[in-house]
Amino acid sequence: MDAVSTPSRRILIVDDDRALRHALSSLLTAAGHHIEFAGDGPEALALLHNRPFDIVLLDIGLPTMSGLDVLARVCELATPPRVIMMTADDTSESVLEAVKRQAYRYVRKPFPPNTIVDVVNEAAAPAAALSFEVVSARPEWLEFLAPCTIEMADRIHSFVMHLEAKLPEDVREAVAQAFRELLMNAVEWGGKLDPNRMVRIACVRTKRMLIYRIADPGQGFDIDGLRHAAISNPEHDPIRHLLVREEQGLRPGGFGLAMTRSLVDELIYNEARNEVVFIKYLE
Amino acid sequence: MASRFTIAEVQVGDVTILRLTGRLELEEGDLVFRDCINRLVDEGHLKIVLDLKAVTRIDSAGIGMLVSKYLSTQKRGGTIKLLQLTRRSDHLMDITRLATVFEIFDDEADAVRSFAATT
Repeated sequence: MDAVSTPSRRILIVDDDRALRHALSSLLTAAGHHIEFAGDGPEALALLHNRPFDIVLLDIGLPTMSGLDVLARVCELATPPRVIMMTADDTSESVLEAVKRQAYRYVRKPFPPNTIVDVVNEAAAPAAALSFEVVSARPEWLEFLAPCTIEMADRIHSFVMHLEAKLPEDVREAVAQAFRELLMNAVEWGGKLDPNRMVRIACVRTKRMLIYRIADPGQGFDIDGLRHAAISNPEHDPIRHLLVREEQGLRPGGFGLAMTRSLVDELIYNEARNEVVFIKYLE
Repeated sequence: MASRFTIAEVQVGDVTILRLTGRLELEEGDLVFRDCINRLVDEGHLKIVLDLKAVTRIDSAGIGMLVSKYLSTQKRGGTIKLLQLTRRSDHLMDITRLATVFEIFDDEADAVRSFAATT
């Protein structure tokens, strides 16, 4: 019982691992896509100059020419395809290069078969055509300007969490959850899910702490007026806000701030409350 | 957006066990889950167990939908119980204090038997 309806796309798989190419081809052909292969960068670029592709699955560790160099050349095409980077080596440098060059996603090998089908299907959707602006791509300071859509928030979240791959699991999980909740709040409530409005996202890493700042384009909110959020609930009634949300015609939810407060060390809003910083201290 | 979320139904006597797989998140699995529960309740299946072992991520919207469907099922005279929470889901239930709202089980047979004890 799932709800997948994805248009068929022309996909180029670029990987020197023949077995992986064929496994991916079987999966994606079964998902309704048209597949071609290349075993290295020059072969891939020749194919890309010869005919259009919608999506490229691109390994980073290719012989003769790095996948990141191929990505740079792909960006110069008149109508560049969406590029999904695949690698077993997810150093922050390669993630940042992929981000700077507007890769669609970054997928760590090995991956479960369904993961790659899901990511390809997302890249095939019209919403995937949106792009973000990279304001800073240093390991210590990553900053984006991105359209206010759920799909874009998912992409940014995925990139940022790849950068945090080396964190202890409990810290990484807490940061991932908090970052997603606040980012979704920003694009949904601040940005009204309007792709013409931008959310500004900065992730700053110091030796002792992680700092995330999210500035949305909305007017902010009055925290005392958040009867529809779980943070307003009395101790004995953790779901009272859901009745308020139902009265107000809001979708179920409202647990984001309550969750985030418990997951991070500091949560600070600006005066208007359209900009938030959260901090997670490292050992 | 492609759905990464699936639900498998298993009937054990008059108890319906739903095995949820994937991401229960905003515009990901939340609407699939809502529609599934609505259909079951409309068909008169009011004893429902959600097996969350294979839920990889859950967010505020997903938790909200769980509670919303719990409340709407209760209004129809039924209930929803939770089974096999992952460590992460268990932690979220604690920090949102929803562990005091839902009955939560580690063992499927115990979850199924618990309905007999209340009817």
